[in-house]
Amino acid sequence: MAKITRAGPASPPDGGWGWMIVAGCFLVTICTRAVTRCISIFFVEFQTYFAQDYSQTAWIHSIADCMTMLCAPLGSVVSNHLSCQVGIMLGGLLASTGFILGSFATSLKHLYLTLGVLTGLGFALCYSPAIAMVGKYFSRRKALAYGIALSGSGIGTFILAPIVQLLIEQFSWRGALLILGGFVLNLCVCGALMRPITLKEDHSSSEKNHDHGTQKEDYSPLTKEWAQTSLCCSLQREYSFLLMSDFVVLAVSVLFMAYGCSPLFVYLVPYALSVGVSHQQAAFLMSILGVIDIIGNITFGWLTDRRFLKNYRYVCYLFAVGLDGLCYLCLPMLQSLPLLVPFSCTFGYFDGAYVTLIPVVTAEIVGTTSLSSALGVVYFLHAVPYLVSPPIAGWLVDTTGSYTAAFLLCGFSMIFSSVLLGFARFVKKVKRTQLRFLAKESDPKLQLWNNGSVAYSVARQLDQKDEGALAMAVSGCNLT
Amino acid sequence: MSSLSGLRALRALGAPGHPLLLLCLLSMMRSSLADGNLTGSPFTSLRLREEMLAKYSNLSSVIHNISLTEHSSVPVEKNITLERPSVMELQCQFTTSGDLNLVNVTWKKGDELLENNYPVNITGNTFYTQYMFTIINSKQMGSYSCFFGEEKELRGTFNIKVPKVHGKNKPLITYVGDSTVLKCECQDCLPLNWTWYSSNGSVQVPIDVHTNDKYVINGSYANETRLKIKHLLEEDGRSYWCSAAFQLGESEEHIELVVLSFLVPLKPFLAIIAEVILLVVIILLCEVYTHKKKKDSDDGKEFEQIEQLKSDDSNGIENNAPRHRKNESANQ
Repeated sequence: MAKITRAGPASPPDGGWGWMIVAGCFLVTICTRAVTRCISIFFVEFQTYFAQDYSQTAWIHSIADCMTMLCAPLGSVVSNHLSCQVGIMLGGLLASTGFILGSFATSLKHLYLTLGVLTGLGFALCYSPAIAMVGKYFSRRKALAYGIALSGSGIGTFILAPIVQLLIEQFSWRGALLILGGFVLNLCVCGALMRPITLKEDHSSSEKNHDHGTQKEDYSPLTKEWAQTSLCCSLQREYSFLLMSDFVVLAVSVLFMAYGCSPLFVYLVPYALSVGVSHQQAAFLMSILGVIDIIGNITFGWLTDRRFLKNYRYVCYLFAVGLDGLCYLCLPMLQSLPLLVPFSCTFGYFDGAYVTLIPVVTAEIVGTTSLSSALGVVYFLHAVPYLVSPPIAGWLVDTTGSYTAAFLLCGFSMIFSSVLLGFARFVKKVKRTQLRFLAKESDPKLQLWNNGSVAYSVARQLDQKDEGALAMAVSGCNLT
Repeated sequence: MSSLSGLRALRALGAPGHPLLLLCLLSMMRSSLADGNLTGSPFTSLRLREEMLAKYSNLSSVIHNISLTEHSSVPVEKNITLERPSVMELQCQFTTSGDLNLVNVTWKKGDELLENNYPVNITGNTFYTQYMFTIINSKQMGSYSCFFGEEKELRGTFNIKVPKVHGKNKPLITYVGDSTVLKCECQDCLPLNWTWYSSNGSVQVPIDVHTNDKYVINGSYANETRLKIKHLLEEDGRSYWCSAAFQLGESEEHIELVVLSFLVPLKPFLAIIAEVILLVVIILLCEVYTHKKKKDSDDGKEFEQIEQLKSDDSNGIENNAPRHRKNESANQ
């Protein structure tokens, strides 16, 4: 009699509750990324109230952004060890506390600690687990789900900016921070939505670990099992993907890509002003960038889910990054508004495009079990370039006197990132065809089968399943 | 001769910028020039006077002009901001295609007709007129208009005012127990000093900085002033006025201060918290319910499967029976 397990393994639903997860992740992106961007609306108020200049107040935003990215691995560790729901709810509570304490601040240092460190930590605990959850619930429509979920940052900024302005006018910055703290508490609602799901992949891998472990117990949700083994060993297993060569290549390319993409949002307006565009037109360029970013998120996600592009998501990703790099290289030649508008559209579209594909590509490389931890590491790698790149670009602009050097450096950085990925994939493909060729020749059993694709699948089975199953199959076939 | 004596007097003075003395000298020179021979156009003698004034009295010379045509229906106005005493030269020109003799040129300050000692020059079909005067104090500020009388009277106005002071257009929101900073600034101008008033209704009461340390007035630059109010109470929520004093007058700006109690933003905050708690409870309850339903259905499936297996066993026996019966029937 077969034993029926309670929480049976399932394949990704690609719908149903998955859409609630996408809605939850959308709200998480609004509450984290969009709210971080809206903090800069408070700067004028802080400057008047605390009598400080712009550079002192701008640190709040940098600290919050940096903490969100630096502590992203912490977020994935917490949600792997407790549960995704608890992790995100905890993050929501922390972030909300940061805002509420910030509304009572009496000096700028208080704001650095509350609005910067505490809120950034809270956001970090929410961001990567939520994105990883989307990956677990979708496989066929993964890119579209990510597109919708990640478009929250653009749409959120669009909607929240006037609302925050209105709150400041009605309640001054203290009241506005308090109410924003309440709004950020909605992260707890998103956390509640993230129902855990166990997938076939998780099931088989945990059974393997199960066999390796000394205790034989009933298979339960992943979380209980991790609690029994020691923290050190479990961390080792969780982060085993760090040694994969594919992941190392992705990590290096993400470093260069993050270095390249951040200065544009800081320096587009000053550059436009320097070539003679008016203030309103420069602001208009930034809004175009934001709106087309959202469109790029969703449409590129839908596009790469189509059957003809599904196997080429990796290529689409490096194509989007490379095109952005090329746009950067062309930017110094664009000296007027009619030329800058198409630049904004193109850059914005492909910026949204590759942001959508980062989790998809990471999932392809590490699989869905380690997706949360891998995303934590990927976003962690965004932190230092985000922090370092705008000041370096600013230094280049000051020393050379023009924006050309800064933009060329960013462009080459992004093109290098995409070329590195392309090269790595090419090398892997060459190695794989060589291996296949060798495998075909050496194994006599496989010579029975003339169809090459079946040979490949049998060779794969030899790698993954145990010998017993194959022997059974072979004997079964011999009978017939 | 008299003009030379005037010049000598000026040089002898050696005290440039003394207003009363200047006025005396001006009147002297005007009368002397009126008596003397005017060689050349009226404008050159005026220019000479202006140059002398500017040189010896440290007053800046300000020139503005307005052009009118017979087709201008809307009154033409020009706004002039003035901080320091200056020598003003206001010029008007009027182009017409009609009869030039019918045009009557007058200057007015506000509604008051000015003396008839301004030069009027006609070149081709354009009238040129000019009014020169010195602005020493606020009495001379106002609106000066040149009129070209015809069938319809055409008018060009120069509005001379002190520079405007900018504060904040929207009311400033603060909370009880907090402190706040009210700021007034004036771009491109340097007031002599700043004063703050608070008003409850219509009476303006100057703010006393010295009685207690509730109010502190300071400003990092000369063109701005900041009033810091500490330990705010609800009755501090009223209108405040910052006033910039210039040599030629005063300029005021109004700032509204609103003091709220902390309960005001607390209400929306508590509403949002209630909504969050409600949603979280609903979602978690839904999850527990679906989990229970799934467990029941799994149990039900298990039960079904057990039933299926049991019935399979019994089906085996039943299947044997017909066979036996068949055999029996076959045998029979």
